[in-house]
Amino acid sequence: MSSYIIKRVILLIPMLLGITMITFALTKALPGDPVYTMVGERSSLEIIEKVRREIGADKGIVRQYIEYVSLLAKGEMGRSYYTNRKVLDDIKSRFPKTLVLAAGAMFIAVPPGIGLGLLAALRKGAIADRIISTASMIFISVPVFWSGLLIMLFFSLSLKLLPPSGTGGPRYILLPSLTLALPALATIIRVTRVSVLDVVNMPFIRTARAKGIKKKSINTLHIMKNALIPVVTVIGLDFGSYLNGAVLTETIFGWDGIGRFMMEGIIKRDYPVIMGCIIVGTVIFVLINLLVDVIYHYVDPRVRLHGTDR
Amino acid sequence: MQYIFGRNYWNTLSVFFLLAFLIISPACSSRNRTEGFIHYRLNYNPTTLDPALIVDVTGGLIAAKLFNGLVRLDEKLNVIPDIAERWEIKGRGTEYLFFLKHNVKFLNNREVTAYDIKYSFKRILDPGGRSPNSWVLDKILGAREYMSGRVADVEGLEVKDRYTLKIKLVKPFSPFLNLLTMTAAYIVPEEEVKRWGADFASHPVGSGPFRLKEWRHNNRLTLEKNGDYFDGPAAIKGIVYRIIPEDLTAVSEFELGNLDVISIPSYEYSRYVRSPKWRSLVSSVEGLNTYYLGFNCARAPFNNIGLRKAVSSSIDRKKILDTFYEGRGRLAEGPVPDLLRRWYTHNPNRYDPSAAKKIIEKEVVDNRTVNFYITADQEVVDIAEVIQSYLKKAGLDVRIKQLEWSAYKAAINNGEADLFWISWWADYPDPENFLFPLFHSSNHGASGNRARYTNKEVDRLIEAGQRSVDLSERDSAYGVAENIISEESPWVFFWHKTDYTVRQPYVRNYRIYPIYSMDKGLEVSF
Repeated sequence: MSSYIIKRVILLIPMLLGITMITFALTKALPGDPVYTMVGERSSLEIIEKVRREIGADKGIVRQYIEYVSLLAKGEMGRSYYTNRKVLDDIKSRFPKTLVLAAGAMFIAVPPGIGLGLLAALRKGAIADRIISTASMIFISVPVFWSGLLIMLFFSLSLKLLPPSGTGGPRYILLPSLTLALPALATIIRVTRVSVLDVVNMPFIRTARAKGIKKKSINTLHIMKNALIPVVTVIGLDFGSYLNGAVLTETIFGWDGIGRFMMEGIIKRDYPVIMGCIIVGTVIFVLINLLVDVIYHYVDPRVRLHGTDR
Repeated sequence: MQYIFGRNYWNTLSVFFLLAFLIISPACSSRNRTEGFIHYRLNYNPTTLDPALIVDVTGGLIAAKLFNGLVRLDEKLNVIPDIAERWEIKGRGTEYLFFLKHNVKFLNNREVTAYDIKYSFKRILDPGGRSPNSWVLDKILGAREYMSGRVADVEGLEVKDRYTLKIKLVKPFSPFLNLLTMTAAYIVPEEEVKRWGADFASHPVGSGPFRLKEWRHNNRLTLEKNGDYFDGPAAIKGIVYRIIPEDLTAVSEFELGNLDVISIPSYEYSRYVRSPKWRSLVSSVEGLNTYYLGFNCARAPFNNIGLRKAVSSSIDRKKILDTFYEGRGRLAEGPVPDLLRRWYTHNPNRYDPSAAKKIIEKEVVDNRTVNFYITADQEVVDIAEVIQSYLKKAGLDVRIKQLEWSAYKAAINNGEADLFWISWWADYPDPENFLFPLFHSSNHGASGNRARYTNKEVDRLIEAGQRSVDLSERDSAYGVAENIISEESPWVFFWHKTDYTVRQPYVRNYRIYPIYSMDKGLEVSF
């Protein structure tokens, strides 16, 4: 398996090169010019040209790209056009905050999600299943900018339990994590339910029952273990996307994460920031997927990680 | 595993949530403030705190607490001494002799001298630097030669002695002292700039009433009182700026007592001014700003003055101001805000939709479709739709093109729009700031004249006003220029917006200022 992991990590390099090339071309193709925002409301053509030279925007796009890639090769990501701070430092300072938020959301979403999904499947058609399925449908449909505001109004303004915004310890994490967790919880419930229902009807479960194995054992060892593959995939996807930042949730709760950082970069056409965030995001996504593959192997030994038979 | 997926699902889940609650409950409290510090809100993280690079109001607002200039503004918008104790103006307004206060110290405890002033000004003009603010100081003799890299020094900046600086201008420029109140003219210590390099933007050192204690980007920025401030220390221990992008979040923080003062979001205005609890705590100031609908005067169809006037007359600005803005502003007679105008200007384009329609039908023969560029801001989108409906009634088909800010600026700077919605906020409180950048023909595009308006007589009058050292002569030139501009209507002059804030009852001596640089944070207390 280790050779498979090494191979996947090495494959990251051409993938990143491709991603930088596409992103670089796309950001440059966007309408707008960061120089106009950098120079303020009143500036002469000389100033605009001076700033353009300063940030290297006067060079050809190919040359700019080569310079950017050579910077990356040195382990740097350049400086933000506006703040003049190192992009890598800014990402490093924000990533742990995003990680904490994503982990908090997963902590809230995963155990109850799997539990409630299993419960709904095992009680298919009963009142519990109907309540859980309806609630999960609602949570999937509600947009986070609305649920986030409601959660804030309820827990902060009405109950005065938690601060409405800020970045910090557990009391700051709870509300944004809960907001992020709700759609994830609902997705996990639904996927678990469907997946368990698939497995329940398979012949080996019937065989197990015929063999007189205890119900508890069947539910855990036979059903859950086999039903977990799609659930792990969904968890991996959600976790990966939260690690790339949750713009709306971070904005509502004033959380200083990668999502807000990247959004500001996009709005201001701060190319080094956009590129930096996308590269880090790609690496995270690929690594999470790799981790999910490894988990597959442990959850379901039928999955072999040799790189060729997958 | 057996237990978890056994019969007691509900028990398991209850235990999970109980555990989670027990972990979090000791920390439960909605309070979030540092005692003795006043808590304000910022909508955005300031991009930089280096005076050479600041172009945003947020950055300027904080820099005013950290740095000083030679002069500053008092509450009546007069220029008063700051680091300079006094000054003399000679040579028909081309020579300024500044005498500095003694014992004004940077936060690193070094005294501010005339050499620091020269260094700070040269830094803005540095040909190798990246300051976008060189226009503030390029009126100084030799500044342009220095900026082009042809000479090693700025001829017009002369240190006479440790406490005396002479500044020579290329030609008289009446608002020069006003320019020196701007962020770009703040004084920085050379040794700290060299020590931090590009990171000076995050480690500012000035001589102001506060020092930067902590800057957690996108979260909070804390300033601590400078107890040795030369003009007497602030009445509070410090200032905490919370960076909160969402209005509703900021209002929640204010209502919970975590913020002491907030700018009132438009949709909360009527609630606060009507609430018996809050209405006596609402402050307002007439902003030094002008909101306008700009025409592209350089091309058809709006190179036609008659058509521009007809469009102006087809929009009921008062109705939009009273309904949409709930009267939070004053109708504009011309580009210059009433607070700065010392003459009479009359906007000739009163609301007259039927007359306007006839003119539009007569003047626009070929194509009745015009493009209207706006930003993606929701308030702007709403106003644009109202304008669009008025113009449709008048016979013009308006196509709204909504762009994100930097794309929008690029488009209007390049003259792509027929119509555009934007506002202009004062850099310094002088009518010149609402005339020269916006209507002088040398400033087409990014320099401010986005309407691409050209009138030789207006150019001449603005230049005469800039040169004149006599106030009444200057006002007369500006007054005539503004009336010509109002008559030729390169914009539909909408309004000057009023700013409103609400504060907690325990906040005392709070004032709201029309220009960010005026607030040094010295008076406010608990």
